[in-house]
Amino acid sequence: MRAIDKGFATCHICHQLVKMPEKKGGVALCPRCGEVVHQRIPDSTQYTWALVIASIIFYIPANLLPMMHVHTFAGTQSDTILSGVLYFLETGSYLIAAVIFIASIIVPITKLLILIYLLVSVRHNKPIGQKRRQRLYGLTELIGKWSMVDVYVVAIMISLVHFGGLSQIEAGQGANYFLLVVIVTMVAAMQFDARLIWDTNTEKEKNARDA
Amino acid sequence: MGEHIVCCHECDELVHISNPYREGRFKCPNCGHLLFRHKEGMVEKMFAYALAALVLFVVTNYFPFLSFHVAGNTSHANFFTSIVYLFEEHEWLLGVAIMMTTLVVPLIRIILYLALFGPLYFGYIPSYSVLALKILSHSLPWGMLDVFLVGVLVSMVKLVKMGTIVPGESLWAFLALVFTIAAMQAVFNPHALWELVDRKRQEKVMV
Repeated sequence: MRAIDKGFATCHICHQLVKMPEKKGGVALCPRCGEVVHQRIPDSTQYTWALVIASIIFYIPANLLPMMHVHTFAGTQSDTILSGVLYFLETGSYLIAAVIFIASIIVPITKLLILIYLLVSVRHNKPIGQKRRQRLYGLTELIGKWSMVDVYVVAIMISLVHFGGLSQIEAGQGANYFLLVVIVTMVAAMQFDARLIWDTNTEKEKNARDA
Repeated sequence: MGEHIVCCHECDELVHISNPYREGRFKCPNCGHLLFRHKEGMVEKMFAYALAALVLFVVTNYFPFLSFHVAGNTSHANFFTSIVYLFEEHEWLLGVAIMMTTLVVPLIRIILYLALFGPLYFGYIPSYSVLALKILSHSLPWGMLDVFLVGVLVSMVKLVKMGTIVPGESLWAFLALVFTIAAMQAVFNPHALWELVDRKRQEKVMV
């Protein structure tokens, strides 16, 4: 039995069961922690779509603009995410290349693809592969923050290497955009309501009861 | 105590739990999502971990975590000075994001754990429990010290090519801090605490 069929909802902070008003889309206040309780996150898919599209837009300059500029007496070298990975592959640091490749390229793209797939599948509302889709959603929440690695690396390097003309590292605009990608995708994953994946059952049960 | 019903947060299934104080993990029978996990002695363990984490946090922030030598020049980085340096360089976005995720959020979480579990350890439920639990719940995804640890390791390998890199004193404290926070996350069971808060409120109504 699901809470929505019984007219209950759960508080997203303290997980208290709350009796919801009969009216569709009504809200209640949680008696335990005072938070506003919704049956589902309101306009969840719209917000998630908007944030997903925003992060796709941010992802383009994040990859095209340099993450950091390395000034040494031999000249200035600017590295984007991909050229950094290629540099490590060429010099033989395969582990670091793999870490950066996974954290800054595979993780954000996987997250965005999963979110888009979930949004489209929720729209079609078919009771197929719900457990698998739920796992995918869990994955996006789990891996989300790990793309911050590259941002931290840039920050640590610029705060360590500042010796004036000798060697100096500056952050590029790419780092800012990449940071935005990470934060916006994290918020997008939070905005998505996983219960929508399972809401097909409600319709089916209703039809069965009516028939 | 009557029947205990929990609603799964991911699939909206109503789950009947006969004994929520059994040690172990409670999973949703429909989708397999972890509802909560219960461990004996949570209050004692959390109090101890939170004290340890506070000490480690102070040590981590006081000493530099990396030192870098190149051609007779040396620079040290600890959490605070690197953030100040970012602000001096007008990297506002980076500076704010890093300050929040590695300094402010972890510190607030450790202090709230202490403020919650300290009184609980001495058998008293503090009046600000609801607020503290709310902030803890909201801030959970934004503490990223574990990611920062990987960042430190990656930048060490990157900088080895440019000069001499020396791991600072606080790197070890930082390593221990990350593991302590992970242990806290594994023991912390907000479900049981909310039940406590509930019971206290009901007692108040009865009196």
